[in-house]
Amino acid sequence: MKTSRQILTIFLVVSLFASFNFGIYKLVTVRLSNNFSSATQAQMIDVGRYLPHTEGSDLPKINSTLKLENDLPVLDGAAALVPVYAAVIDNVYPEGCVTYEGGKFSDDNYYGENFAPDSAMQYKNTVRGYKAIVDGETDILFCASPSEEQKKYAEEQGVELVYVPIGLEGFVFFVNEKNPIDGLTTEQIRKIYAGEYTNWADVGGANRIINPVTRLKGSGSQTAFEMFMGDCKIARKSPLAMIGGSIGFSFRYYMDGIVENENVKMLSLNGVYPSAENIQNRSYPIVVQFYAIYRADNDNENVPALIDWLLSDEGQTLIEESGYVRIN
Amino acid sequence: MKNRTFLVILFLVMALCVALTVAHVIYAIYAYKHCSIIYFIGKELW
Repeated sequence: MKTSRQILTIFLVVSLFASFNFGIYKLVTVRLSNNFSSATQAQMIDVGRYLPHTEGSDLPKINSTLKLENDLPVLDGAAALVPVYAAVIDNVYPEGCVTYEGGKFSDDNYYGENFAPDSAMQYKNTVRGYKAIVDGETDILFCASPSEEQKKYAEEQGVELVYVPIGLEGFVFFVNEKNPIDGLTTEQIRKIYAGEYTNWADVGGANRIINPVTRLKGSGSQTAFEMFMGDCKIARKSPLAMIGGSIGFSFRYYMDGIVENENVKMLSLNGVYPSAENIQNRSYPIVVQFYAIYRADNDNENVPALIDWLLSDEGQTLIEESGYVRIN
Repeated sequence: MKNRTFLVILFLVMALCVALTVAHVIYAIYAYKHCSIIYFIGKELW
């Protein structure tokens, strides 16, 4: 073979691989950022925005009649509920009880859990938070319903957890802002995740594969999603779905009030948009409760006092002003 | 270039390309499991 042909052959081989990798990069890799990378810290939650007793924080202020001074219950919770329990500390706890040591993210610290061990505020998110409450590291956990595994872990450890519903939230589905679909029915969504509908054209959208995205097992939104699906089995999706048009799920305020990503939009379900008003009047079809959770054997008297206060008009007002919907 | 030399070079180039592609795909699968889905969907091409 002539040298020129040989060089051309090598060039073509390299070009073929380069094109393939470039395609994967544009379609998939460029969209992937680890939760602990700087690019997605802001997409999870910027805890620094919600630090109690800090000037310029985004926390609401009310005139609380409950003021705790000693035996402060340690509060922890899900990413979506950081604004709620941080606001509780801000309004009820004394200054100096929270020590935040910065937002360093790493393989062992996905969520920037950099609160000092003696800090009254912690942030372990749902999966680690449930373990922490069972293990006695936290006094009150603010979370959505537990998964079966989390209930089982508590049982295995011989721990009884008390779940007190303190607010309402909408479980929402969302798509890219440019996806022409603005709403679906709950039945259509179940069929998408069950693998019956695999193309957006099946539900009146563009001719493009659907990528039904799920989340980390045991996370609050994944557990809520599994409850929504009920007996409907979640299908294994095609590898090609990775390059399709995605649909995902989350909680309303996490999407709308915390992350505020303008490139995604929440879908109406059965013709009803997940606004705070539609969640409060229950016209939105998937309304879930979120809880203050504590160990039944916790003997800190401030735990029931704080729970009672959360259910009072003052506590409910704080929940509402934190962006969520009151339970009553 | 002798044919034998060419085949050796071709083999080495292909091996390198395959290794890089496999590494890329493994990284993509790993990162997909840990990524923010809001960010992932927000960056989708339409």
